[in-house]
Amino acid sequence: MNGPINTYELIEKYCLDLMDDREKLFYEMEIEKNPALKSAVYEHKTLMLSFEHMQDRDFIHSTLDHIHSSSRSHTDAVLNHLKLHINKYWKTASVAASVAFMASTLTFMVARNVYQRDNRNSVIQLKGYINNIEKEQKKIKNEIAKVKKKVAPVPDGPSKYTGTSFALTQNGYIVTNFHVVDGYSKIFTFTADNVGHQTEVVLTDAEHDLAILKITESDFKFDAKIPYSIKKSNPSIAQRIFSLGFPKEDIVYNEGYISSTTGFEGDSSHYQLELPSSSGMSGSPIVDESGNIVGIISDKLSHSEGITFAIKSKALLNLVKKLPKDFNSNEIASNQLKADSRSNQVKKIQPFVCVVKVYND
Amino acid sequence: MGSNSQFNMSDESLISSLACGDTKAIQYIYKSFYPTIEKMVFKMNGSVDDAYDIFQDSVTILYEKAKADDLHLSCQLSTYIVSVAKNLWLKKLSKNKRQSVSVLYDDMEESVAVDSDISHFHEFENNVTKLQDCFIKIGEPCNTLLKAFYVENKSMQEIAINFGYTNTDNAKTQKYKCLNRLRKLFFNKNENEFLNERTY
Repeated sequence: MNGPINTYELIEKYCLDLMDDREKLFYEMEIEKNPALKSAVYEHKTLMLSFEHMQDRDFIHSTLDHIHSSSRSHTDAVLNHLKLHINKYWKTASVAASVAFMASTLTFMVARNVYQRDNRNSVIQLKGYINNIEKEQKKIKNEIAKVKKKVAPVPDGPSKYTGTSFALTQNGYIVTNFHVVDGYSKIFTFTADNVGHQTEVVLTDAEHDLAILKITESDFKFDAKIPYSIKKSNPSIAQRIFSLGFPKEDIVYNEGYISSTTGFEGDSSHYQLELPSSSGMSGSPIVDESGNIVGIISDKLSHSEGITFAIKSKALLNLVKKLPKDFNSNEIASNQLKADSRSNQVKKIQPFVCVVKVYND
Repeated sequence: MGSNSQFNMSDESLISSLACGDTKAIQYIYKSFYPTIEKMVFKMNGSVDDAYDIFQDSVTILYEKAKADDLHLSCQLSTYIVSVAKNLWLKKLSKNKRQSVSVLYDDMEESVAVDSDISHFHEFENNVTKLQDCFIKIGEPCNTLLKAFYVENKSMQEIAINFGYTNTDNAKTQKYKCLNRLRKLFFNKNENEFLNERTY
């Protein structure tokens, strides 16, 4: 076996370029004379290059994997990709949508003919009428009550903007986002009984997007004491939270969790939440599992489904320190919801969550 | 204005630190070029995984050329790497017969000829695939032994100790036998051919 091993060692020495000039010259002459050796050298070189390439690609792959997995651009990429796909397929989607629309119109027309013969339907309709009448009556009653109190009437036209707010004191201090009321002076707060109350801005903090408002009626009072407290310390990541807000005329409950203790682009005055939200929910309270308010919804990431940002409650507590003496901070210092079930907590908080509507002058 | 502009490396210094295998250079390359390449692959019907695969291959090409001191650019490095990526992806598309490239990526400023670099790379890639097949076929201990020497760059002494050979000469003999078997498999040769014949 010595012969082949020596041959192979020489090939390796030559391929690694370890021969001195003289040895190399003689060896190359031998290669030229011996076709078998020539192909052996070629084969060895090919193998060695393959080994080297294997090494190189392993090195690059593992280094890049490390960088790539720790880079945030991966998630951005997925978003970009989705966007591109949406662009690509919107035509197909719109065709599908119009087909679906036609199908449902047809179904509706057929179904209507059937229902018109059904007496039960008129019963349901009547029930709806009565409900409407009751609502109207309630409204009229409230209007009368207001006229008696000589308070400002709610403007007739549609509001320019709506947001959510919640009570800080029983005598009508409430908080919402600065961006909800920014630039408007005609502001009305609609309490849970759907009565609009004239409201004025008392204090704002544009940096943290907070505005503290007060219902101007001198005898206004929420029906009960504030049941929740506003938390001083910051909750941690992964904590479960819920929100109550007004994305539509009626109050809507959502739940989620704190996904990051900083907001958009690392903003330390905000949290990032995994919580569905939509317009109208600006100013909604974020409540932790024991019923403490830990934040206020400010905005959401456009194009994203569930990412919502909330202002930390600490910013609110800093702001209320500047309020006049008729604000009693003790009212939001103790929490009476700790022992309650979630649905009871919501039931008790609900009367203190209001709609804020702003109108053109 | 991200971290990219905080430290701007010139193409030359980037290439020379890449040639040394500096991970900082690779990180810089990732930050500077990956987003562009990703966007490009997306526009040409690729997925996130496709984009990343193409990027890995492009950086491998760049690294090997830098290491061999063979990267003589007549254009900016960004133009080169984007051209490489684009061509790699087009090759992959035509190979998979996914010819529905409805959106051609034409808003690229300029591109350079990279065909020979890419065909070289594909040749290497094919060889590595073949090599990996052969490694499986030759079995143990040859598989681990050859990889230890040729891929992990371990010395014969280390290998002798790790594999329980009494001395380095025994290890060398074993390595030779293994390499010989590997070569025959790789080049589809008969077991008895070539070096066993005493022609010299």
